[in-house]
Amino acid sequence: MFTGLEFEAVGLPPEAEALRGEVREFTSKELPADYWPNADFNEGHSPDFSRKLGERGWIGMTWPKRFGGGERTFFERYVVTEELLAAGAPVSAHWIADRQSGPLLLNYGTEAQCRRYLPRIARGECYFSIGMSEPNSGSDLASVRTRAERVRDGWIVNGTKIWTTDAQRNHYIIALVRTSPPSDDRHAGLSQLLIDLYADGVTVRPIRNLAGGEDFNEVVFEDCLVPDDGVVGEPGNGWTQVTSELGYERSGPERFLSAFRVLVEFVRAVGNDPRRDEAALIGRLASHLMTLRRMSISVAGMLQQGGNPAVESALVKSLGNDFEKLVGELVRLQAPPGHPGLERCLRQTLLHAPSFTLRGGTREILRGVIARGLGLR
Amino acid sequence: MDRLIEDTAERIFADHVDKAALDAAESGEFPNALWQVVRDSGLHLVGSPQSGSELADLYGVLRVAGRHAVPLPLAEVLIANSLLDEAGFTTIAVDGVAPWARIADRVLTVDGELSRRFDAEPGSNLAGESRDRVVLFDTERVDLPTDLRERMALCRVALMSGCLERILAMAIDYATEREQFGRPISRFQAVQHNLAVLAGEAAAARCAYDAAVASVDSPGFVHHVAAAKARVGEAAGIAAEIAHQVHGAMGFTHEHSLHHFTRRLWAWRDEYGRESLWQEMLGRRIATGGADSVWDFVVDAG
Repeated sequence: MFTGLEFEAVGLPPEAEALRGEVREFTSKELPADYWPNADFNEGHSPDFSRKLGERGWIGMTWPKRFGGGERTFFERYVVTEELLAAGAPVSAHWIADRQSGPLLLNYGTEAQCRRYLPRIARGECYFSIGMSEPNSGSDLASVRTRAERVRDGWIVNGTKIWTTDAQRNHYIIALVRTSPPSDDRHAGLSQLLIDLYADGVTVRPIRNLAGGEDFNEVVFEDCLVPDDGVVGEPGNGWTQVTSELGYERSGPERFLSAFRVLVEFVRAVGNDPRRDEAALIGRLASHLMTLRRMSISVAGMLQQGGNPAVESALVKSLGNDFEKLVGELVRLQAPPGHPGLERCLRQTLLHAPSFTLRGGTREILRGVIARGLGLR
Repeated sequence: MDRLIEDTAERIFADHVDKAALDAAESGEFPNALWQVVRDSGLHLVGSPQSGSELADLYGVLRVAGRHAVPLPLAEVLIANSLLDEAGFTTIAVDGVAPWARIADRVLTVDGELSRRFDAEPGSNLAGESRDRVVLFDTERVDLPTDLRERMALCRVALMSGCLERILAMAIDYATEREQFGRPISRFQAVQHNLAVLAGEAAAARCAYDAAVASVDSPGFVHHVAAAKARVGEAAGIAAEIAHQVHGAMGFTHEHSLHHFTRRLWAWRDEYGRESLWQEMLGRRIATGGADSVWDFVVDAG
């Protein structure tokens, strides 16, 4: 009998738990006493903080030592990332490079690329953005139109990427581009190029979001020359590579912790002796959070075993995003007046909520991925 | 969890529990033949000291039992045998109600009263499972672990987790076979998305269950059970609703077997504390610790 998707029962091993105290000590020392925690992994772009994390060996933790990594487990990385997120530390600068660009280079890049970029990423000095979406290609990623044409010394890139988080502050983008004309196989002819965001022919324009922030951007390529050594993996293998990134992108604790501060501030607001309905709301949200965390740790175990948990990651992200939205909506109804901290968190969460189920794959795309995993497509 | 025990349970229940057995049990007929097979296999002793197996195995057997809607008071018998180190048929009563008390040799209450002499008035839960009202005479006091209610709640979590896997499988099978508009309904995106949500709830339930079982004998046990019973109770409601929607009117008939599983989910989510009870308990503990300890609680539930 089919019994659903396999989430193996996995707990965090002692060597991973041992890091928890170290990270807490670090954040309490490095973040000022009156620090107001970020709600989200893409808030708080601090090269200074990222470099300090790099010094501690907490970026590129799972990578080989010869590329500046720590050869530690995905469980150890899990503990460090969840503790940083729970503290609301400013982690946005290195986040994507650590989470997926580095692993992508390790899986598909050349020795030279790994030597060139990974040690700098691990030191917290080199930041990457994701180049997937385009103005006319969102969920239908295979329809990207950014073209790269072969020339003598490399590739000439033309096109536009959009919703590119931190492109105005990061150093590189790994862009999914079309390197041969569309054919019957929609997934063929795509390649990934590593492009310097400061190169000639690259223009970055911040896009203001509804909450007033400018985290994401439009990135325009106009006859931008990318040298041959900027190709990641095999030309034409872009689709396989880009989908392999998603297991890293979707399963982490950042997919269910964006509204965590709201829960914390709600507990502060209702105090030690809450009403029944207040206590029940806290308990309900905690029961979801504890379960999501367990699922996410299980996916870390799959990554540790070298698997490609694309379906399981989609499932964790989908449940996690729905939870993030639930937190704001339910706490809003019971939030007692006169608690500025709670009000501030709630505003932040409610204004950012639409993005939770869009970024990193919409709810609809994720459910499609899960349905395929169930054998329905 | 011992894989061999789980496989044995799966084989026995798959062979002996069918629609006819479920209907018969629901009409008040105790499944003697099935009970005999369970006893012969030693499954009724899993988790008790004499068997050499662990409590995790006990809960694991119940997960398999949930997958098959086994019409025996297995949770009660297994827990009673593990507590009393026996091989008998003792059922467990809570709030004056015990499964199959009309057949059982003894009744143990969750408050620690044990009796051989009792009246049992037949009754049933939402799923038609025996829930008999008992009046005990000549009771003796038994020292029970303080977390017995949590253990029983975890039994319901285990049963629900298995049951959720079953209704997911049934809904997928049905959607793949049933044709409308000239194609299987599983080809429709709206149906696919509903099934994806159902799969998510089943997976979440499994992980909540795993977390609670992993915490057996640890200080966080009570809190993990609270979280699991609350979360899996929520999952049960969402999943049963979708399974029925996918099955259409066919699943609303008595003839179809879906209701044996969905009605159990609706019954079990209420037994040994519905979601609101455990949510409130968990929330109160978290509030007592204060805002700055919320994360600590989420991480180790201690």
